[in-house]
Amino acid sequence: MFALLALLPTLAIFAFVRIYPIGDTLRLSLHKWDILSKNKPFIGFANFEELASDPLFREALLNTTIIAFGVLLITIPLALVLAALIYHRTRSRLAGFYEAAIFIPHVVSLVPAAMAWKWIFDARLGPLNALLTSVGFAPRSWLFDPVLSVLCVIVLCSWQALGYAVIIYLVGFKSLPTSLYEAAELDGASAPQRFWHLSVPLLKPITLYVSVVTLVSGFNVYAQAFVLASDAQGAPGRQVRVLVLDMLENSFRNYRVGYAASEAVVLLGIVLILTLVQFRMLREKGRS
Amino acid sequence: MIDALNSATTTALERRLVRAALLGSAFGAFMLGGLCAASAQTVTVWSGYPEMAPFYEHVAQGLKAKNPNLNVKVEAIALREHEKRIALGLTSGVAGATVIELQGSTVRRYIENDLLPKAPDAVANFVKEKANFDEFFTSNASFEGAVYGVPLFRGQAALYYNTDMFKEAGLSTPPKTMEEYTQYAEKLTKRGADGNPTVSGWSLRLTGGGQGIAEKFWINLFQYGGSVLEPTADGKWRANYANEAGRATLKQYLQNVHVLKTVTPEMPADAEAFERGQTAMFIRESWVIGDIASKAPNLTYATAPLPRGSIALPTNLYVKAEGADAKAAWDFVMATNEPENLTWLLKNVGWLPNRSGVDYSSVTSTSPAFGAFVNYPKDYKFFTLPSIGPIEEVLTRLAAQLTNAFRNASLAKDDTAIDAFLKSAADETNQILRREGLLGK
Repeated sequence: MFALLALLPTLAIFAFVRIYPIGDTLRLSLHKWDILSKNKPFIGFANFEELASDPLFREALLNTTIIAFGVLLITIPLALVLAALIYHRTRSRLAGFYEAAIFIPHVVSLVPAAMAWKWIFDARLGPLNALLTSVGFAPRSWLFDPVLSVLCVIVLCSWQALGYAVIIYLVGFKSLPTSLYEAAELDGASAPQRFWHLSVPLLKPITLYVSVVTLVSGFNVYAQAFVLASDAQGAPGRQVRVLVLDMLENSFRNYRVGYAASEAVVLLGIVLILTLVQFRMLREKGRS
Repeated sequence: MIDALNSATTTALERRLVRAALLGSAFGAFMLGGLCAASAQTVTVWSGYPEMAPFYEHVAQGLKAKNPNLNVKVEAIALREHEKRIALGLTSGVAGATVIELQGSTVRRYIENDLLPKAPDAVANFVKEKANFDEFFTSNASFEGAVYGVPLFRGQAALYYNTDMFKEAGLSTPPKTMEEYTQYAEKLTKRGADGNPTVSGWSLRLTGGGQGIAEKFWINLFQYGGSVLEPTADGKWRANYANEAGRATLKQYLQNVHVLKTVTPEMPADAEAFERGQTAMFIRESWVIGDIASKAPNLTYATAPLPRGSIALPTNLYVKAEGADAKAAWDFVMATNEPENLTWLLKNVGWLPNRSGVDYSSVTSTSPAFGAFVNYPKDYKFFTLPSIGPIEEVLTRLAAQLTNAFRNASLAKDDTAIDAFLKSAADETNQILRREGLLGK
């Protein structure tokens, strides 16, 4: 009883800032809810029906999905390998340096980081094209080509997500039982074999956590795409339309809050389903 | 005894009276001071054009002499953020006296939902006075016959061209037809050893913020006799670009980007590129004159009217306030329209004032670049964005479609594909209008 009472203020705050907005978003998604209009009629699933035929929403959904899975596919294996290298190979004082160097991008403010990457990808002045041309490749319009600009966002997001994933994996490595590794070493298992047959399966709960966090943040991508591929005159256009950007535009530019809420509900549904699927997959693998 | 008692009582009474008088005086002085402090009024100006901030501050300085207690706070931010601020501010309630700068095409939805009040009679009479404003500007600041705002300035487009580059290319006059625009662009483009353009002949708006791409497309479309939206007989609207004018306009963009390669999406563009000598010509509003004066004062350039006419986007000032606050805010709005201030605006900021009957010659004579904006041909035509709720959505979605089309090289020589693209885009525009009950027959 005391524990419940002690938790009550926290639960109340959580309900107010998390649960209530989600419930209200669900309500708004069923209304023609214009910021300015006094009349906000209930329209059932009309917003969702319109979403199905909206080319901008489809483009945003596709781009967001590609970015989220792209970041996941780059971050998880790379973070696992880097964490293993740092944990097993660097016994020196440099381990701390490597950890810090990899983690720094995660704590760097999003906008300045994206601005720096925007310069790197710049078609005319960027070091990336300078490097490419110096080794005989043709320069590319990184931020103007629709496919390449999505790739640029994936690279930027992966760069930022990597540090966090590495640190979490390092915590996981440090909690693994050393006796198992010693036994495997005595049995003649090589380092890659120990990594693949011991570390990877034992770190599954960590992998689950990191992949859920990475995927959810990938679906919420906004600032990276916005800074990289928009918005001032003469800058690249909105090549990378992502869901959050589309929601923002529908809410505060077109004042269609109900419609934007239906996009948010779709995003919530996707993230929820993916998270459940990941949990289920890893639980079943764990049992088997 | 009685006298003594009376005297003592009187003395006590006097003392009490004196004390009361002193306390009263102190309280009165305190109240008076409070009243003086209360009479100091703050008017906040919300602007969507940061370059307008010095103008409003200049107006406020002028008002100081008449009303020393008036404190004007200018909050000028980027236009899109400004629009969001208005939407959220007006729906959630704005505290104090606020002067709001807003385009006539955007304001209607606020007025329809009673979020902005009518202008007081004296202000309305000033706006309705034909000697002060052309009917176009008065109606832009009005709704159903009632005046809500005071016209201030407008965005109007003209051609800017680099006269040195023209001379170098053997061109002595600005282009007069849209066909000439392409011919000139070809002659003016400078290329590197690989044949790629290093200086664009004509900086077209191919990328950037959404709505601007569609607006610039509309300006070019207008030269061919088309428009993004046209009014219908039933007082509604429909798309008007899936036609010959639309095809000619889009084809010109595609020809310049993909066939003649006089410009590419990656090239530096717009005013910044013009000021740095990275483009030979481009179409833009009059504020660029002020921008060039401050950033590239040695640039040799001239301006010219467009072949058929121009967009004219009037921006008006509205007030959200009550009582004495409202009076102070409207006084400030009226002061912005004083001839001295409007001349200052033209000279120092470059936006074109809307008020007629003001002698701007002191500015136009020293800055000939204003010529194209004020001395246009007699048959020159103007158009503006319709004041309908979903105008921004229509333009933003069209811009998204256009951005894709500009990238599509296969469209450049395929009229059937261009027509199909335009039809699909126009269907989307009409769909938005239908959803809002605004699609005409």
